[in-house]
Amino acid sequence: MKKLIDVRNLNIAYGAKSSWTNVVQDVSFEIAGGEAFGLVGESGCGKSTVAYRLLGYGTINSLVQTGEVLFDGTDLLKLDTNSLTKLRGNRIALVPQNPTTSLSPGMRVGSQIREMIAAHRALPDGMSMQSRIVELFALVGLPDVGHRYPHELSGGQQQRVAIAMAVACNPDLLVLDEPTTGLDVTTQRQIIQLLGDLRSRIGMAMLYVTHDLALLAQIADRVGVMYAGQLVEVAPCDQLLAAPAHPYSRGLITSIPTVDGTDRRAQGLRGVLRRDQMSTGCKFEPRCDFATAACRTTPQVLEPFGEMRSVACMKWREATVPQTPAVKPRPGARTAAKPGRLLSIADLNLSYGKPSIFDRFLGKTSPSIVRDIDLELRAGEVVALVGESGSGKSTIARAISGRLPPRAGLISLDGDLLASTLKSRSVEQLRQIQYIFQNPDASLNPRRRIRAILERPLAHFGIEMDEMALEGVLENVGLHAGYLDRFPEQLSGGERQRIAIARALLVNPKLLICDEILSALDVSVQARIVELLRSLKEKHAVAMLFISHDLAVVQQLADRVAVLYKGALMQLADTDTLLDAPLHPYTEMLLEAAPGLSKDHYVSRPPAMPASKAVHGIGCPLAGRCPRQVGTICAETRPPVQETGSGFVRCHVPLDRLLFRQVPIATNTGDSIHRAGTAPAFSGR
Amino acid sequence: MTMITSNPARQLFRFNAGYWRATPGPFKVGAIILAAHALFAVIGTFWTPYGFAEMGAGLPLSGASWQHPMGLDQIGRDVFSRFMHGAHIVLLLAFAGTMLGMVAGTTLGLISGYVGGWFDEITQRIVEAMISIPFLALALVMIIAAGPTLAGEPVLIVFVVGLVYAPRITRIARAAAMEIATREYVAVAELRGEGTWSIVFREILPNAANVLLVEFSLRLSYAPILIGALGFLGFGIRPPTPEWGLMISENRNLLIASPVTVFGPGLGLASLVIGFNLFTDGLSRMLGQRPVMGA
Repeated sequence: MKKLIDVRNLNIAYGAKSSWTNVVQDVSFEIAGGEAFGLVGESGCGKSTVAYRLLGYGTINSLVQTGEVLFDGTDLLKLDTNSLTKLRGNRIALVPQNPTTSLSPGMRVGSQIREMIAAHRALPDGMSMQSRIVELFALVGLPDVGHRYPHELSGGQQQRVAIAMAVACNPDLLVLDEPTTGLDVTTQRQIIQLLGDLRSRIGMAMLYVTHDLALLAQIADRVGVMYAGQLVEVAPCDQLLAAPAHPYSRGLITSIPTVDGTDRRAQGLRGVLRRDQMSTGCKFEPRCDFATAACRTTPQVLEPFGEMRSVACMKWREATVPQTPAVKPRPGARTAAKPGRLLSIADLNLSYGKPSIFDRFLGKTSPSIVRDIDLELRAGEVVALVGESGSGKSTIARAISGRLPPRAGLISLDGDLLASTLKSRSVEQLRQIQYIFQNPDASLNPRRRIRAILERPLAHFGIEMDEMALEGVLENVGLHAGYLDRFPEQLSGGERQRIAIARALLVNPKLLICDEILSALDVSVQARIVELLRSLKEKHAVAMLFISHDLAVVQQLADRVAVLYKGALMQLADTDTLLDAPLHPYTEMLLEAAPGLSKDHYVSRPPAMPASKAVHGIGCPLAGRCPRQVGTICAETRPPVQETGSGFVRCHVPLDRLLFRQVPIATNTGDSIHRAGTAPAFSGR
Repeated sequence: MTMITSNPARQLFRFNAGYWRATPGPFKVGAIILAAHALFAVIGTFWTPYGFAEMGAGLPLSGASWQHPMGLDQIGRDVFSRFMHGAHIVLLLAFAGTMLGMVAGTTLGLISGYVGGWFDEITQRIVEAMISIPFLALALVMIIAAGPTLAGEPVLIVFVVGLVYAPRITRIARAAAMEIATREYVAVAELRGEGTWSIVFREILPNAANVLLVEFSLRLSYAPILIGALGFLGFGIRPPTPEWGLMISENRNLLIASPVTVFGPGLGLASLVIGFNLFTDGLSRMLGQRPVMGA
């Protein structure tokens, strides 16, 4: 096929005159017309830098040192600003990462698209501007929302608008920079579906930049794996996933958590990408299990092998992993005798904002964010709260920790009722519940050394601990005493999260609330934190409330899963039972939307009764979106709780009918469903 | 692996040519001016060519000469000696006053910003009321209220400067605290059950330090003007003590006869203020903060 874009020996450096840092080194690849090429790698590997260069775009402090980017025969790096402007948007278009910040908030989305078409005079002949915009909206599956402002649209709709804008001029190449990061699993799948659909209709080529290999499996023809600014492997997508050649690609793929039940004990990657400890030879050498002295000194270049593949490793043939898919080493604790109740939540109702006197006089109440939650945690048990953004997961955690007084309901720990506010709880109760936040950058005080961060809770709770014990705790989370005198900013994201975990464990709590603690981390780092949590769970017998939007991670860790939707518990079940037989339609939707490591031809199932909206506070919140809705009863009456073996389902559809799946998801049952979910859900705060 | 094992605080105090070169231009100029002022003040404390209150050091109003670079005033005192002796007074008063305002304003502002609620409301209304009164008017009211026994005492000047500045600093500290209070490490401390004081001083203050440091040096640069103005109006330090503002006031009728006697202290004040301002400007650039001018 004809090459559309050809990148040759691209070298990009960041910095200033005196000290350039090479960010991208000798990257070469080409994309044929109509092809979808994926660039994948950990954060900081230079993938976005390359992508933006394809638009002829570089930041002020970056410099292309050598190389060429040939687009249809012209070198983009040599073009002047005017010709670039003509090209951008018109022939090469960008779909940026975050639609909330990339759409102008003060402008109707219709006029934003109009601007794009007008700037490039790209109106097809015999068509009015208005009808073209409507056509574009229809193309991305939206009704005519041209008169809306961006804030009136949901995140998924905003991303659709951004895509409509990008394809407005029928570009030859679409550059997508993590377009679905930050969206919910289900929304993400719809966007991916839309992109595949657009590609077949318009026939444009795509460069898809992401950290999520599972997503690429759904959309890309070929994938380039980047590490530390170099391409280490280029291969057709299915071949790469089936038989990765480079040790780094293997590590990336094994790091991805799976929902298929087998437990591979992810032999993830050691260490993190650190540009200050690069060897002169293979960049991956410090983290590679197969490295030899020769690797350290010999630079590796992409060598073609097989059909259409190439790899930058001289040892890839010898370096075969002894694949030991451990056969489900399910912790025995799961079948052990059930220990006593630790935490119980009864009829919890939560809302934000206190009603003012005026509101009370008028009988107004702010709507409940979370309704009628009943949940129990036994000692040493891990219960996962799963749901999309805005489902109220973190809100429940806030109430348990005492930061949000509940409007109604009881929370008790160890049989003692917990006061609703922090101030009225006893010191002992505060010690027993520890909270780990999503973002370790924000949860560690940047102006304090790790030692002070760790010692403060000890001093506060009056726990005696000597230097040795402190070091012991650090070793427990996989760090060493050398970290004690550093500041948080000197640590990587994964190390910071370990410190946060160590701080929580130090005071010997009974309950650990983990609020999306993995979503800010890279896949490879995630895998190791999960491993750490699992070992801590076995060693310390601490109970965890694990909040996540990612069923695959949950599956590796949790004993039971509670599925939450718009503030109501939809289902509670043992993890295995839930994954084998999701029962509840919403759980089913979540499971199906998780992308697998092989193309799974996902088709979202249309809602049965899209017009029926739930009566707030009474009806099933899923009404109108549910593919198995039985009638208006769903929207108008409270769904009954139906007991199952290990938990319950809240649904109008009777259990025996839930067990029988209307649409068999044949493609999913046989092969595995994998999920590399790092999409940080909007924290909703 | 580049591990930072040595103590960064120790590195800060050691003069490092590399660091110095990396600082912004205004910072360098400001620092040099301030260092010159400090040196001048230290010398002036111990040695002056003539006594600062020594009358008849030469012919009154004889103008500038090598013996008397800033001339002589009406009663024959050497203006340059007085100027030298006054340098440390201006610096000390400015420092002490700003420091007092800083301590009071920061404490009040951080707590008010963190606690919020009715405490914040009441504090802010009082602070707004105080800010709405012009600098000088407020200072004069305070001096008059203090009564004649305290008038002219350095302690009073320090208090007045502190109290005039405190409300303005409170606003800055409150804004910083409100922003920092939303960070999760504060939530972690709350979940631990820490008290308000502990959270304010352990978690919030270190992170507001950048903003406060810039605010401190900005306030410091205005303090000599305020003290000078008080001295000029006769509400400052009691004469014969040669405070620069007072000297300008004493010699203002000589502006025609021997202008150099006014220019000396005037230039001193101006260079001090400019030095502080440049220093602040550079410091804020280094810390990535923007000083709020004119507050």
